[in-house]
Amino acid sequence: MSLEKKDEYDHKGWMKQKDLSPVETVFLTTLIWLDKRLRIVDYLELMENLYYKVNLQMPKSHTEQYNLDNKFWYWYPLYTLGLFSTLAYVVAAISGALLGFYYSPSAAAGTEAAGTVAYESIAFIMRDLQFGFMLRSIHRWSAQVMVAAVFLHMLRVYFTGAYKEPRELNWLIGIVLISLTMVFGYTGYLLPWDQLAFWAGQIGVEMSLSIPLAGEWVAQLLFGGFSLSQATLQRMYILHVFLLPFVVTTLIAIHIGIVWVQGIAEPH
Amino acid sequence: MTDDTTHQETDAEPEAEEPRADGSGIVAPDDETPTWRERKTRTQGLSQLTYEYFERARREDQDLRQESDYVERDVLAFPTWPHEVIRNLAIASFFVGMLIFLSATLPPHIGDPANPSSTPAIILPDWYLYWSFGLLKLGPLNPDLSILGGQKLMADRTYGVLANIVVVGFVAIVPFLNKGSARRPVEQPFWAAVGVGGVLFAFTISVYSAKNLIPMNLDLLFDLTFLIPIVGGFVTWAVLKTMREGYMYDLNRRYYRLRPPK
Repeated sequence: MSLEKKDEYDHKGWMKQKDLSPVETVFLTTLIWLDKRLRIVDYLELMENLYYKVNLQMPKSHTEQYNLDNKFWYWYPLYTLGLFSTLAYVVAAISGALLGFYYSPSAAAGTEAAGTVAYESIAFIMRDLQFGFMLRSIHRWSAQVMVAAVFLHMLRVYFTGAYKEPRELNWLIGIVLISLTMVFGYTGYLLPWDQLAFWAGQIGVEMSLSIPLAGEWVAQLLFGGFSLSQATLQRMYILHVFLLPFVVTTLIAIHIGIVWVQGIAEPH
Repeated sequence: MTDDTTHQETDAEPEAEEPRADGSGIVAPDDETPTWRERKTRTQGLSQLTYEYFERARREDQDLRQESDYVERDVLAFPTWPHEVIRNLAIASFFVGMLIFLSATLPPHIGDPANPSSTPAIILPDWYLYWSFGLLKLGPLNPDLSILGGQKLMADRTYGVLANIVVVGFVAIVPFLNKGSARRPVEQPFWAAVGVGGVLFAFTISVYSAKNLIPMNLDLLFDLTFLIPIVGGFVTWAVLKTMREGYMYDLNRRYYRLRPPK
């Protein structure tokens, strides 16, 4: 009896008897080698299953199905606003990551009169950095457009009744997302630490202070105190570049995942 | 456990048999997967209930599919892939182009650095928060109670924050208030009117938040803030009511005959 391990199902013998081309031999050998270690056949099966499930849904187009001669609702351009907000989010994320290389969230006094380090890093990006002005412009515009698209997206969903059963949960996630988008915008608005930012921050502190019972606690947590300081800027920065991106990206993924599973609510 | 062992004993192959090399003896591991019924009999309590429900749900799906004359596909929706995705990708390239064009032609500028000792004449958040900012200025609506000797129950600021919560909360529960299979605004004039009123209110309250945006008597502006949405909503309602009959005739002919509403 040899100590050599037996190939229980004799894949090699099976391959020999099949008279394969070199390409096929290499492919199968690799596949079997990998499969013995990683069980990839299971996953391939899964993928295949998914592939067919996705492609099974090749119905007649909506207009054909219902014989709609009024194509306006079918081609209603507002149905793409959800994608627009996602795209704007991606563009903002990329340009924001690039801006993050040059921005420093510090309220310490800068080198020039009256400016802070944060303010001057923005000024540096806009004046001295190659392509910096355009970069900030893209970031700002994609943020503005994202907020606008998200609002219009919500209106579209409302007026076409797309929030109805079975899509209530996605509507709720959407409410959370639109709120977080505005928080995203607000925290970003504060980062340049110019006059507008400072006084908008002041309003924010006052708003959170006037929440019943939890007001002071909220102000401490979000703004790091009852008046604006380095702590405020730091917190806004961390919210804007660390916390919110994780939360919002996850929620967007869930939001779109649910749309994928449920399909687009039919216009008619 | 006993179930498992007996099951394996009966199914085990006699050891004398040689492994076949032609692949025919290979048993997919999935064959060992218990059916829902088997799982149900093995478990108890909540998990058994879960399996029972799964079985029921599958049967329900099956029945619905067999009853339905809607044979094209079993998801009652417009497919995301490929219809929606292809259409969206085409528009997406235009969109990104538009973004870059906007950024190139209308770049943002930066104001004076922060100065805590000089309050600017106009304090405003970014435009998309105007509505929320306007809701903070609802002081005149905050009732003062005679029980408290003409005092207000809560500070105006608290009242404004609560107004924000109420507005967002109302929008959130819309799906639980408005049910049914209607999709077009003409099918439900009331809810369309609520929507139009809401949109108009978002605009008017935004204008109100920047009090000096429109040169006008402040009291009048405050009244208009609430009147315009109500009037707009009512007009929408009236128009849709009028249009409804003709539209519903078409809808019934084209759509609801094919897919009767629940």
